[in-house]
Amino acid sequence: MSVSKDDLRDLYAGRLGWDKTKAIISGPKDDDRFETAVEVLQEQVSWPERILMPLREHLYVVESGGERVVKCDCGHEFGDWRRNWKLSALIIARDDEASLEEIYPGLRRPDPALCEVREFICPGCGSLLDVESVPVGCPIVFDALPDLDTFYAEWLGRPLQGVRRCEDLTHEITSRWGQAEL
Amino acid sequence: MTTLENRPDSDRRGDDGTDTGRRGLGEGGATLAEMLAQRRRQLTETGCYAGITDPHVLAEDPVRAELFHSRIMAALIAGRETTRLVSASPFVREVAELAIGIYTPEGDNIAQSIGIQVHIRCMGEVVQWMIEHDYEHAVGIEAGDIFWCNDPSVAGLHPADVYDLLPVFHDGELIAWVCTVTMEMDIGAVSPGCMPIANVERATDGIRFVAEKVGTEGRLRHDIELKIQYSLDMSDIFLLDRKGATAANLKVADEIGRMIGEFGLDYFKTATRELIEVERRNQIARLRQRTVPGRYRNVVPLEYYMADQPVSWLPARKDHIRLVPIEMRIDGDGALTLDFEGAGEWGWHPFNATPSGMWGGFAFTLVQSIAYDGRANLGSLLPVDLRLPLGSVLNPEDVRPLATASIWAPVIDIFSLWCAMASNAFFMRGFREEMFTYRGGSGMQMAGYDQYGMRRPLLAAPTGNFGSGATGVCDGIDAGGSLITAEIDLGNAEIWECFMPYLDLGRRLEPYSVGWGRFRSGACVPTAAMLHRSTQTIAAGVVGGAAEFILPNVGLGGGYPGGKRFNVVMRDTDVPARIERREPLFHELGHPAHPTYEMLDAEVTHPHHMAPPMEVNDHDILVTAIGSPGGYGDPIERDLDAIRVDLDDGLADRQIAEDVYCAEVEFDDAAKEWRVDPQGSARRRDAKRAERLARAVPVEDWWRRSRRRLLDHDIDPMLSEMYASSMRLSEPFTTEFKEFWALPEDWTPGEGRP
Repeated sequence: MSVSKDDLRDLYAGRLGWDKTKAIISGPKDDDRFETAVEVLQEQVSWPERILMPLREHLYVVESGGERVVKCDCGHEFGDWRRNWKLSALIIARDDEASLEEIYPGLRRPDPALCEVREFICPGCGSLLDVESVPVGCPIVFDALPDLDTFYAEWLGRPLQGVRRCEDLTHEITSRWGQAEL
Repeated sequence: MTTLENRPDSDRRGDDGTDTGRRGLGEGGATLAEMLAQRRRQLTETGCYAGITDPHVLAEDPVRAELFHSRIMAALIAGRETTRLVSASPFVREVAELAIGIYTPEGDNIAQSIGIQVHIRCMGEVVQWMIEHDYEHAVGIEAGDIFWCNDPSVAGLHPADVYDLLPVFHDGELIAWVCTVTMEMDIGAVSPGCMPIANVERATDGIRFVAEKVGTEGRLRHDIELKIQYSLDMSDIFLLDRKGATAANLKVADEIGRMIGEFGLDYFKTATRELIEVERRNQIARLRQRTVPGRYRNVVPLEYYMADQPVSWLPARKDHIRLVPIEMRIDGDGALTLDFEGAGEWGWHPFNATPSGMWGGFAFTLVQSIAYDGRANLGSLLPVDLRLPLGSVLNPEDVRPLATASIWAPVIDIFSLWCAMASNAFFMRGFREEMFTYRGGSGMQMAGYDQYGMRRPLLAAPTGNFGSGATGVCDGIDAGGSLITAEIDLGNAEIWECFMPYLDLGRRLEPYSVGWGRFRSGACVPTAAMLHRSTQTIAAGVVGGAAEFILPNVGLGGGYPGGKRFNVVMRDTDVPARIERREPLFHELGHPAHPTYEMLDAEVTHPHHMAPPMEVNDHDILVTAIGSPGGYGDPIERDLDAIRVDLDDGLADRQIAEDVYCAEVEFDDAAKEWRVDPQGSARRRDAKRAERLARAVPVEDWWRRSRRRLLDHDIDPMLSEMYASSMRLSEPFTTEFKEFWALPEDWTPGEGRP
């Protein structure tokens, strides 16, 4: 059973009543959900680029100038989806007691000697896009690298134009930064 | 046909004494070993369970198939309730840590009852272990035989989970196994409790049954019963659980007999195997419907604080952290691989995972996240590949010498974070309502003389106090987030108080346990137990997750993970005097920076999750406050009315509303209600965005600063050792780590900061 665009829009916004929400949670999953979701989201953004995939809250992989880039709903672009978008964001690193206490007071505070709470901020709109809590020194986590071509060609049966090999290219950024350190 | 009336003819003799010509117990006289080898070969050659490339028997008559499956499920659920009703253990009766399943002769799970779904594959692994060790001939397998296993080096997640296995025969042929698991409060482990931490060698794990035949003809052997009575403080509880499990297994076996009478043996055999193959196909279909192919990642630090544990195997006395990177790959064909390349080394502690334990963890996670239609079985796991580096904390070379009391700890942490990874896949596919996260928790366990003067291990495990993570469309459920067993609850305080020499001081939802977000996680319920009428008691940590000082990375889409979990131990309290003066006691935590227990006059300590054993006395108070999993989305986008409701319900305070959610709130003294000002809130939120942009730096700047710390070895020595451990086991991890930080080829983690 399909979920209507109106219901899906309200579901995502947290505005759908509990009865309907519960029915969607508990019911059989709809095969056309992805298409409906992309339609809903495409109508909500102010820019014209085609959404290929919603990546996370606020972020999408879009077709832009023949490339596939990560874009915020505010319009800010983070570059090729195969490079971890977090490296092109702003960061607030909570790595001392004072900054951690702002979020986790008293007994709830993690130990800054061991734990770093990284907040990734969109440079365009100031939205908090991700909170990463990891050991100090841990490389930034590349949460999700969707295989867009396999998905569109083999799972949806409508291939995208111009196949791009799905590989992690984040090292291109860190390598450039590393060169500057030499 | 009943289970007991039909004897197997392993001696080639039928019921009438004639030679049946049977070599083995299996189909057509095949040995179980031959059947197991054939099943494995068929899966490899065809990719399909039992070589069923065209499952059609169930599909030809769907009504009959549905009736068949319903009969199996009804028998299993009734069997589970049988065990609960016989049992006297609060773990089983109150918390309901039990389940029952039916297996093929080769140990492949066909169906599971509701309950703790961890053991779907694990109990079958015991059957396969028995087959591989030629129990058919060397030990003998007959109708009515009772086998017990609780040794995690065979299968399972800790010795406290005891498996009761019963073979089911029809006309001399072994046609199925029925297996029940219950969690035991006492297995004779070193004090305290049944999941002891000061425990690094196998002997201190407690009594272990290595897939042993302990009964025949449906009756427990007298010598085994005596062994239990002489080995356990709570032998009565243990034996009653076994009786419950045996009754349940026999009840299900009888029902199988009736089903064969109605459906026919051929249908039973074919349909049970098709149930597995159809579920395998359904699992692939679900993955293809709800996820997106690609690569997903997360990292799990496992914190092990063993330096102060009073153990005699001295090499174990060391604090250390192990990193477990998780990479999930979903292929175009819907197959799912979990690769743990880079996991750190195993250690002398009871918290190493095992391949069986990891499969157990993935079993309950898949059942709760994807395969939740009541048809989960081995087929749910067949499209999955786990890659567990040998020698790592997930796959020690030899588990047998090790204590295994808390395999749970790494398993829960790892699959909690897997939920966050799967949530990213659900999000991308549009199924935001399927997103959720989970987080394990640790507490305190005790041992000593109870209020009746009896010496007992005292593990209270009210595991229904976890809040669940937020979904992508609504808040998580308060105190409703146990991933392990969906039906679990806290149990009645009054029942626990009958078993434990303590009084429950309060059961209140704790607002600061929450993971903040546009949708927040559910809140947790801390436990606060005051010792009461004990005469001599020790307490120590009990570990249901290995995260302590590092928050698990379970925030989703801008949501935060819940705060740090913590213990509080209050000794020499002034509670007796307060009671005498009729003054308030401590019932809820209050603000974590100035908790309400500070009103008590007491000696207060905050031991970590692996608290070494300590003596506690009457009126001492043990508090455990667990942390929730992740919130979803930017907290400053939270609906204002939801904030108001949280304030009115005591699930947020002014600080949370103003500083985290950036809402302008005021308490209306006259109406005794909170008010939220939309305009003021909008201004606060605009200001917050501006503050973030002013305060944040480009990641490149942060990267340079962090890289410099690594080059200078300016990190905690435990983290240096953590990275070194992963690098000792994994060249790919080493390469990628150095590549990310652009470190010189000859860089090593060093000793950490002096």
